[in-house]
Amino acid sequence: MAKDKVSMNHSMSSSVHVQSLKAKKKNNRWIWYVFLLPSFLGILLFMVYPIVESFRLSFYQSNGTIENFIGLKNFQQVLTSTSFWNSVWNTFYIAFFQIIITIPLGFIFASLINSVKFGQNLLKTVYFLPHVTSIVAAAMIFQFVLHPDLGVANYALEALGLPASSWFSDPATSKWGVILLAIWHWIGFVIIICLANLQAISPEMYEASRIDGANKFQQWLFITLPNMSGTFAFLLITGWIGGLQRFNEVYVLGGPSGSPARSIQTMGAFIYERGFTGFEFGIASAATYIMFIIILVFTFINLKVSKMKL
Amino acid sequence: MNPKMNEKVTNIAQFVVLLIFGILLMIPFLWMVSVGFDRTANITLPFPPRLIPEEVASFNYKIVFENGRLVQSYLNSAIVTISSVLLQVFASLLAGYAFSKGTFKYKKLLFLLVLCTLMIPMEPRLIPLYTLFNKVDLLNTFWPLILPTVINGMLIFLCKQFFDQLPSTLREAAQIDGAGEFRIFFTVYLPLAGPIAATMVILSFIWSWNDFMWPLVVLSDQDLHTVPLYLSSFALENGTSLAGLTMALATVSILPIIVLYLFLQRYIIQSIALSGVKGE
Repeated sequence: MAKDKVSMNHSMSSSVHVQSLKAKKKNNRWIWYVFLLPSFLGILLFMVYPIVESFRLSFYQSNGTIENFIGLKNFQQVLTSTSFWNSVWNTFYIAFFQIIITIPLGFIFASLINSVKFGQNLLKTVYFLPHVTSIVAAAMIFQFVLHPDLGVANYALEALGLPASSWFSDPATSKWGVILLAIWHWIGFVIIICLANLQAISPEMYEASRIDGANKFQQWLFITLPNMSGTFAFLLITGWIGGLQRFNEVYVLGGPSGSPARSIQTMGAFIYERGFTGFEFGIASAATYIMFIIILVFTFINLKVSKMKL
Repeated sequence: MNPKMNEKVTNIAQFVVLLIFGILLMIPFLWMVSVGFDRTANITLPFPPRLIPEEVASFNYKIVFENGRLVQSYLNSAIVTISSVLLQVFASLLAGYAFSKGTFKYKKLLFLLVLCTLMIPMEPRLIPLYTLFNKVDLLNTFWPLILPTVINGMLIFLCKQFFDQLPSTLREAAQIDGAGEFRIFFTVYLPLAGPIAATMVILSFIWSWNDFMWPLVVLSDQDLHTVPLYLSSFALENGTSLAGLTMALATVSILPIIVLYLFLQRYIIQSIALSGVKGE
């Protein structure tokens, strides 16, 4: 009997224990919102609010203190402004050449590094170094590297019998100075991403194709390239998103107006110039929305073109 | 030549070609250091360009340190970066853990909202945030640079993925012992989160240190300038007129980061490859 009682007690207490655990679990669900509190306060205050407020501002004439509702006039003004379309053109021009040159070049370097049997780590370190330096400091150095008369780039070009360029001192060539800087800064990133994915391709595929008599070039064409398509899509998309938001280096090289003659003013610089040197908050807000839409549409097209699934 | 020898030769040739291109990429750095030390380069660039100065002098570096503004901007950058990193990493660990192990209403929807923040660039937020911090009188302080970093979708995402790989059985064991959710997080899961925390610190550090557009908007006071702001104002003021001094300044501003990179390069490269986000 005594034994029975003990075991009954035991089973009762354990069932009580399970029940209280379940109740506790249910009651404690709110605690997860405490975990999320800092992040969601941040989202509300620093993401949702500014996005909504910026949308509202784009319908107002505003300098931060005085506001007048003017409907779609800001959008009209931005969309008919030649300096805005000039900044769109500059942004796309620089980003296009940066991407079209850096991705293939970076991929070739990554393939070469991947097939070298020694010194891979040394090469990786060296090629990645430009990417860790801040683009602001890099722009500062490139002002001198691409100096039209005294710079090391023109000196080297002339020594090789190639034509020198006027780089940042002439609106006709200044965009190519920025492109060169962008390639120099981004190529290490492209190489590292390509390398990581090259090394993820299964060696068995190469082994099998070798047995079937494929040579190195055929392997590269029929195994490596198709396996890298996802990587190229990723680089294409992140490259465009970064390229369309370009600001830091063009600000250092040409100020808010993108000197010389607005030739390197990007969309970001246009917004900065209107918003924070002219304090035309309404116009700048309308411009940010147009830029935002351009980025979204363009990213969507990129996703479709590269058939990447998100 | 036998095939093995042949392979060795092509390998060496490949390595040499890659090394030459690598040195080509390094020329801006090498030249920067050299011009900074060149006696003849106090005003204009030495011509023809040379990698080894004819006469070495350190007066450019002396000016950089005696002027004090670079040192001040380093201090400012350090305060901002350390605070942002701590805040951002801590908030992201909490949120990432909740999205991985938590059971609560609207979990999927809230996570989707976090992912949406990844698509929102800084530009549309610039003006409202500026007026917001103006209203509470915090322009020209470090708060506007620190507080908004509390939310980072990429870090929350990376963190959730990391905790997804850790078994939930650890939680159940601690629950039976009567531990609350916060105790479980701090005593069971946080000690296991070392690798992802390291990655998060590296990424967060790079983003914060290199942040430019937003600090440019909120810090007009020169004494509060961070390193990138000081460099850009110096470059815009002087253009290419003070070659030696500018190059010395660039060297001193880059060098600590390069040293840090050389020590931590494996982790830094891994972290950036993981996030796949441009480090700026």
